[in-house]
Amino acid sequence: MTPIPLETDQLSEGYVILITGMLIVFTSLLVLTIFFKYGVPILLYVYKIITKGRDKKIEDIAIAVDENFTGEIAAAIATAVHLYLHEQHDNENAILTIKQARKLYSPWSSKIYGTQNRL
Amino acid sequence: MKKILLIFGVLSLLIFIRPALGLNTAQTNQVSTTTVQQTDEDTEESFIVNAIDGIKQFYNFTGFANATPGHLIMIIIGIIFIYLGIKFDYEPLLLVPIGAGIIIGNIPFVAGLQTGIYESGSVLNFLYFGVVKGIYPPLIFLGIGAMTDFSSLIANPKLMLLGAAAQIGVFITFIGALYLGFNLQESAAIGIIGGADGPTAIFIASKLANGVNILEDGTVVKNLIGPIAIAAYSYMALVPVIQPPLMRLLTSKKERKIRMKPPRAVSQKEKMIFPIVALILTTFISPSALPLLGMLFFGNLLKESGRTERLAETARTKLIDIVTILLGVTVGASTQADIFITKDSMLIFALGAFSFAIATMGGLLFAKFMNLFLKGDDKINPLIGAAGVSAVPDSARVAHIEGLKSDPHNYLLMHAMAPNVAGVIGSAIAAGILLSFLG
Repeated sequence: MTPIPLETDQLSEGYVILITGMLIVFTSLLVLTIFFKYGVPILLYVYKIITKGRDKKIEDIAIAVDENFTGEIAAAIATAVHLYLHEQHDNENAILTIKQARKLYSPWSSKIYGTQNRL
Repeated sequence: MKKILLIFGVLSLLIFIRPALGLNTAQTNQVSTTTVQQTDEDTEESFIVNAIDGIKQFYNFTGFANATPGHLIMIIIGIIFIYLGIKFDYEPLLLVPIGAGIIIGNIPFVAGLQTGIYESGSVLNFLYFGVVKGIYPPLIFLGIGAMTDFSSLIANPKLMLLGAAAQIGVFITFIGALYLGFNLQESAAIGIIGGADGPTAIFIASKLANGVNILEDGTVVKNLIGPIAIAAYSYMALVPVIQPPLMRLLTSKKERKIRMKPPRAVSQKEKMIFPIVALILTTFISPSALPLLGMLFFGNLLKESGRTERLAETARTKLIDIVTILLGVTVGASTQADIFITKDSMLIFALGAFSFAIATMGGLLFAKFMNLFLKGDDKINPLIGAAGVSAVPDSARVAHIEGLKSDPHNYLLMHAMAPNVAGVIGSAIAAGILLSFLG
């Protein structure tokens, strides 16, 4: 990138960069905004016309979903999934002790086992 | 006991036979002088003197002999970083590697053994190469692209302007740095801290203020990569501290309670079109930002295409982790005390805080300005304007939390993500502009 020659004074060059910079940042994001506000719907419309008949069924479903599916519904579903996955109080682990209860040797009715390994 | 004796024996043997092997040619001169002085002593004592000299020489290579107050201060700072990361959970993925890096970079050593990060040929220097040449930031952007969901932005494109408004912080700080006596290149690198984007800040600093470039008047630019990276990342971690007071100062209670209508659902087609179109449009306008924006939108395309899930998965997990580790450690290690503790670093820290504040205010005020033209349901909650200073996703979370404080049922997170990701694009564009003017 070759530097664009500007005035020699640093401060005035700084102000030039300030103004042009802000202008360019704004215009580029404005262009993006306008494109996604107006350009993309047109693109999608054109695409719809071009591919008409081929995937009409899928298209119908998409429209039906788009109309009613708001962020609130998404949030509700997400909450439900989260609750289901992370807060399953119904399926809690039955082991309530912190100490390791597993024994290496455990013939269940062994007398010696009962006398020596008291918890 | 046997072992101790054995080790002691081996050590003493090593010390005794060292002169015979010629291990330390520099030391032999001293040995000869000492033996001259002690001609009448028996040989065993000269061995002891010899051994003590060896230990002295070893001591001169240790950190204890070479430590300066600067080193110790930096090591303490490193420990504080690690503490903040672990204890308060302030961006631990960044602060812990950077903190460890600061310690690594500030262990005192004798120069010339290819250990330091600034000595060519050392391992750390090779890893630092990725920072100096700006290799790591685009890779991080690839991962960020593969993580980011642009759907809230696509649903409400006008929020993109908030991301642009927050970039005022970059340019105002740039002017401020110029007034404080930094030259154009250095000022640009400092200004980009206001973009609140670590990788972008490192990228610009490595291009403009890398200590290598030669200016028109023949002077070499200062190496500011270390201070700028540290400032950018530490302020990003401090977003929850810096932003809320400004938010409350600039917005009324009523404005903070504005509820925004939920964003519409965005189709997969739009999500796929977005990275391609945004890549083409933004890089046509600001080609210098190509390494950053190209990788960002490429990563996003990997995510949204639906066919390259494997690549997206790698980019947003393994790849970004590897690069973050290398980047964090090397940036931390680059804060070697003699280069880092300067007046410039302090100024950069002050300017960094200033630029964060300006950027936040820019976003907030622009949101209020936009509200003048919007009616009813379309009104924007100005709090999300503050999220325009990228710092994904922290500033969006801050906007969300501040919103909840005024109205416990007002969920702003989804809305705040839009200016947040727009801020990433905006700061990359701003970086590109600065590069094209000054690169």
